[in-house]
Amino acid sequence: MNAMKQSLEKLRYLSLLIYYLFFLLSKGVAQEIIILPDTVRLDEVIVVGYATGSEATISGAIDKVKEEDMNRGLITTPFDALRGRVTGLYIPPANNGPAALEAVRIRGTTSLTGGNDPLVIIDGIFGDLSLLRAVYPADIESFTVLKDASETAQYGSRGASGVIEVTTKKGKAGLFNITYEGNFGISSVARHLRMLSGDEFRQVARERQIEILDQGYNTNFLEEITQTALLQTHHIAFGGGSEHSNYRASVGYVDQQGVIRNNSSRNYTAKLDITQRAFNNRLTLDIGMFGSLLDMHYLNDYQKTFYSAATFNPTFPNHKNPETGGWDMVTTASQITHPIAWMDVQDDEANALVNARMRVVVQLTDHWKLTGFGSYTYNSVENSHYKPTTVWGGGEAFRGLKKTQSLLGNLMIQYKKDWRGNHLDILALAEAQKTTLSGFHTTVTNFKTNQYGYHNLQAGAVRLWEGTASYFEDPRLVSFLGRVNYVHKGRYIATLNARADASSKIGINNKWGFFPSASLAWTMSEEAFMKPITWLNNLKLRIGYGLSGNQDAIQSYTSMQLLKPSGVVSAGGAPTVTMGLIRNANPDLRWEVKHTFNSGFDLGILENWLMLKMDYYISRTHDMLYLYDVSVPPFAYNKLLANLGSMENKGLEVALGITPWQTADTELQVNATFSRQKNKLLSLSGTYRGEKMSAPEQMPITNLDGAGFHGGYNYIVYQIVGEPVGVFYLPKCTGLEELPNGGYRYAIADLDGGGVNLEEGGDRYIAGQAMPKVLMGTNISFRHKRLDLSLQINGAFGHKIYNGTSLTYMNMNIFPDYNVMREAPRRHIYDQTVTDYWLERGDYINFDYLTIGWNVPLSGRLKPYIQSLRLSGSVNNLLTITGYSGFSPMINSYVVNNTLGTDDKRNYPVTRSYSIGLSIKF
Amino acid sequence: MKKELLYIGIGILFAGFSACGDFLEEKPRDQIHEEEAYQDATNLYLNTVATLYTHIGGDTYSQGLQGTYQGVYDLNTFTTDEAIIPTRGGDWFDGGLWQGLFLHKWGTKNDALLATWEYLYRVIVLSNRSLEVLEAHRSVLTEGEYNAYYAEVRAFRAMYYYYLFDLFGHVPLVLSSDTPMKEVLQSRRSDVFRFVVDELQEVLPFLSRQRSNRFGEYYGRVTRPVAWFLLAKLALNAEVYTHDNWTDGNRPEGSNIYFTIEGEQLNAWEATIAYCDSLERRHRLSETYEENFAIFNESSVENIFIIPMDKNLYRNQMQYLFRSRHYNHGKALGMVGENGSSATIEALQTFGYDSETVDPRFEMCYYAGVVRDLKGDAVPLDNGDILTYLPWEVKLDLSGTAAEKTAGARMKKYEIDPTSSKDGKLMDNDIVLFRFSDALLMKSEAKVRKGENGDAELNRVRARVGAASREATLENILAERQLELAWEGWRRQDLVRFGLFTRAYNSRPQLPGEENGYTTVFPIPENVLILNPNLSQNPGY
Repeated sequence: MNAMKQSLEKLRYLSLLIYYLFFLLSKGVAQEIIILPDTVRLDEVIVVGYATGSEATISGAIDKVKEEDMNRGLITTPFDALRGRVTGLYIPPANNGPAALEAVRIRGTTSLTGGNDPLVIIDGIFGDLSLLRAVYPADIESFTVLKDASETAQYGSRGASGVIEVTTKKGKAGLFNITYEGNFGISSVARHLRMLSGDEFRQVARERQIEILDQGYNTNFLEEITQTALLQTHHIAFGGGSEHSNYRASVGYVDQQGVIRNNSSRNYTAKLDITQRAFNNRLTLDIGMFGSLLDMHYLNDYQKTFYSAATFNPTFPNHKNPETGGWDMVTTASQITHPIAWMDVQDDEANALVNARMRVVVQLTDHWKLTGFGSYTYNSVENSHYKPTTVWGGGEAFRGLKKTQSLLGNLMIQYKKDWRGNHLDILALAEAQKTTLSGFHTTVTNFKTNQYGYHNLQAGAVRLWEGTASYFEDPRLVSFLGRVNYVHKGRYIATLNARADASSKIGINNKWGFFPSASLAWTMSEEAFMKPITWLNNLKLRIGYGLSGNQDAIQSYTSMQLLKPSGVVSAGGAPTVTMGLIRNANPDLRWEVKHTFNSGFDLGILENWLMLKMDYYISRTHDMLYLYDVSVPPFAYNKLLANLGSMENKGLEVALGITPWQTADTELQVNATFSRQKNKLLSLSGTYRGEKMSAPEQMPITNLDGAGFHGGYNYIVYQIVGEPVGVFYLPKCTGLEELPNGGYRYAIADLDGGGVNLEEGGDRYIAGQAMPKVLMGTNISFRHKRLDLSLQINGAFGHKIYNGTSLTYMNMNIFPDYNVMREAPRRHIYDQTVTDYWLERGDYINFDYLTIGWNVPLSGRLKPYIQSLRLSGSVNNLLTITGYSGFSPMINSYVVNNTLGTDDKRNYPVTRSYSIGLSIKF
Repeated sequence: MKKELLYIGIGILFAGFSACGDFLEEKPRDQIHEEEAYQDATNLYLNTVATLYTHIGGDTYSQGLQGTYQGVYDLNTFTTDEAIIPTRGGDWFDGGLWQGLFLHKWGTKNDALLATWEYLYRVIVLSNRSLEVLEAHRSVLTEGEYNAYYAEVRAFRAMYYYYLFDLFGHVPLVLSSDTPMKEVLQSRRSDVFRFVVDELQEVLPFLSRQRSNRFGEYYGRVTRPVAWFLLAKLALNAEVYTHDNWTDGNRPEGSNIYFTIEGEQLNAWEATIAYCDSLERRHRLSETYEENFAIFNESSVENIFIIPMDKNLYRNQMQYLFRSRHYNHGKALGMVGENGSSATIEALQTFGYDSETVDPRFEMCYYAGVVRDLKGDAVPLDNGDILTYLPWEVKLDLSGTAAEKTAGARMKKYEIDPTSSKDGKLMDNDIVLFRFSDALLMKSEAKVRKGENGDAELNRVRARVGAASREATLENILAERQLELAWEGWRRQDLVRFGLFTRAYNSRPQLPGEENGYTTVFPIPENVLILNPNLSQNPGY
């Protein structure tokens, strides 16, 4: 009791001390050093969904990232520009190689099945994350991130996972300019796993009198498959305009090699926007187009690549056997292949996207405005791969094409009026969207030569029935929206949204969904009684509640009982294709609905010397779409997509900005974001067609793979009702116990009593969660005269990682068929039973990048031509501080799939990049 | 005027909404509505009857009656003294799965058990649906077609129920595809057994008399000989199948279990004999043992029911040779091996391996000693040594031993198809499910159990491979079944019938409490019990 009192006392002193320091600093510094920022930009236009407003008229929780707030340095995708900058927005570290498409989460995982990626809207065009890759980062003017339902409800059925709105740069009246921006960089592997070298491999075998295959070499295959990767980006934009019209055009190019050979991407982008005003600015026409061509060379099968490179016999050479002309394989190591032979696998993608859009705005009267918008998006993705006969029996070629065409149109009428301290903004909208998805693919095997790759499918002799397929889907959506935004005396703000959506994919009786929301805000600092508090320049309280939907998890036709080709049988003596049911249909499919409550405040002190924004939210997902386990019988298949169950997410988000030092020449700014998030899977049961149904309370999500890990109980991460999605459910290891041969194995606690019985899935406990509890992002930027410096630090805390890589590579049982870690002979473990022995804390702090820029002073002759010239240099992925013993803690700790929280021999090496950049504005 | 405007307004609104309704209607193009699949006799047959046969084999875990891993076959084979998949260092531990099966510690949460249950029931539910569709579209068929198709699906469903209750005991009898959950109730094993017998007996007259293993209209289908064979199996195991409290030690007497065949009341042994005799009308022993497992075994006169295999046409795979042979053995054949399944010590002893009285079928069923490729050359290991299988070295966990990779006699049985693809998993040899020599052994056994002499049938089987005659004692018959039917997936059922499944043997101690026979039936998978609280667990689990 006493001890507690004492520590409480200490805590109080500490907080008082901090408070005083803070206060003194703010007062003193403010009076003497700080030159107050000229304007608080409350009136700046912010696009919130279909509406436009300003900071003064917004009552929901939104975050805006303007160009100057975006990340700097080596930016190859729009995600790079945004990472770590918005509270509650998680973008995974870009260390999975150049070709991986990120998964992005806003306020965590709210659905179990799909549709967890936010909706991306670029200048009014709806799309997914891949749409964002079609835009060059330098063409983006700002991001607006909508997090809580009081604003996402505007997007009804699609907004449940949050919305990232992108406004791209447009031409500006009266200015003609050309800009060039380019980067050149190199990256290399910062760290390798330390396996036995060829010599050590021989030595261990000699010491233990184990017969090995020794070809006499000393090959580090992990290094052999890597390279120093080059990277370059170029972007040219020009634009201009008059009072009545403006335009902007740009082209961009990103060429990025991976640090693993055979892994690269190239992205070509182009964009054009034209605006024309007419009839006294009563009519505005907006036309825009953008497109991209993304060429990717993927690494086929990360696990096979890195598992092979780590464990292939290091006494083997890095070249083919000159006598046989082929690769020497270790046939007893059946789960891996020669890592360099595997580099010949081709896995390519050509992704072409083009979008055209047009907006017509008619200002009918001073108050009434009519807007029509239409957009067309075409996307084709061609995948091709070839696995040579050296690594794949008979070789295998695959070609496939996926086409998506999307038409979107809406009509909106808006009424805006200001009178005697009142501001009213009403909006009504009708919208329709039609998407056509179609494609086909074919697989060919039995090649005798690898010369053709995938370029001539006739070189393969066999085309199996199941290797060829095609599909067609055309889901449609219809929506109506009404929105009222009212501001009284510039300090009481209310917003109401009501959206109705209908989707063709939803069951016939539940087509329409209704998603209302409301939010209130009170700008307290505008009240008369607050005016005397001079150091407080902004205080705004916000509260909101709303519903948003999710239907992404529903595939077309799931609500109907349909037949598909089910296989080939002998019918009447001839091979014949028959049709059959291929899944359980659910005619009662409904919308998944998320209810969110959000409250928060914005605070600005001493003319925004300190800005603080805090939000607390709680959301519940009801009618959760999930592929539930159902009983067979009466069902034919064991999964049914249905709306049962619920999930809860709550969290606290803090964004803090301080400008501790600001003079005419020098400025130091620190921006930090923290988000704490708690997820809980509330229930997986409900009523389906009048019968109570409940899915198993425990479902495995991830398991280990590789030699000796097929089947049985190798599960790592589970979803368990009552727990956060993704918890480790593992046997408890009490230490190492000695074996008769002097080696060790994992001693396992008998948790259930009655003896240890892991084979039956017993004797396990919940050992931690896979998703971080706290995320942090900090940016420190410093400017002195023409020099500027920016450092970004990201971190994640409170989660664990299962080090399956070490479990596998520390097991001396696999030696000498597979190589082991350098530590393994000393540790002497002969066991690969999955226990919590290899479960480790995943906390980390990562120094994402450091950029130094210099605005070159322009001398007399250049000055008329060049407006500005900037040189910069960056280092990406400087340093990671972590207690995790594995390769890197930056694995998938966020997306619910079969890799969640499980480090299993598939990690892309940690890379560090150095780059220099040039940007000129004429 | 205003009223008219209102009407027009309402009219437009109504038109708008109805257009909306049309806009929101799904019109699938890559899948078809059921009505379109059953329009004429040909399509009705294909999409109700023929479609069921796509499930008989498979290429993924637990799918298909044979040829794949962790399904019906593995549960009947690696749980016995016939075969074992030993742990070999980093290979084949697989979370303790194979050791668990061998030691009878499979647990109630076993994924292989759940997937097998779901596979068998899926085919049953789809069969129920086919029957309903046939009834609903009866008008497009002639009376003869309807009767034949309807009978074939009922027989097919009965066969899946047979596999199901053999493995899982008390299982729910579900006969309609839209049975509500609350009506899925457990039936007693004996009731399901009776249902299967009745179904097969009722449909027999409508089934084709054709042999199913031959190319032609009935290739791979359930015909009358297939039903006879199943009925013989049901009769021979009737004691086990009617023993609803299988842990109480009071198994009913086969001589008191009656079957009605052509108006006559026959006991289990007589019924077995009668159905085996029926089979003799269509099938006989082939000249050689090996031709039943040849690449082109469709001409076999002995095979009764098979999984059709064609590496270019069907999905069905035969993964067992691939699973068994050593890596270098596979490589020498231009294929791949996984170095897994092996003969147990008991199997070697039964075959008389290494002795002067070795059974001639050992050579035909197993690889042992020096391994040779198709040209007859010895197969080298990576280090240049000759690959030699060491049958006696086999044990549950070989990790770290000198024979880790080479212990155990491996599966041969099927002729190597040198043109096979997918690492050797897609081959042309049809997978043999039922064959006539089994019927002869069943008849011999039924005679002996009835108190008659079964020597003739036993020795017909032995003479064909040149083995010396033996007296038909129950012990010799059980041994003969292992010799003749090695790797064919019958061992568990045979041991259960002989009351020997739970006994201890080399490297397998008896589980505590196992002597009451609870392990002769697998548990109802735990997931099934969670999803359907109306069901209860089998005794002992």
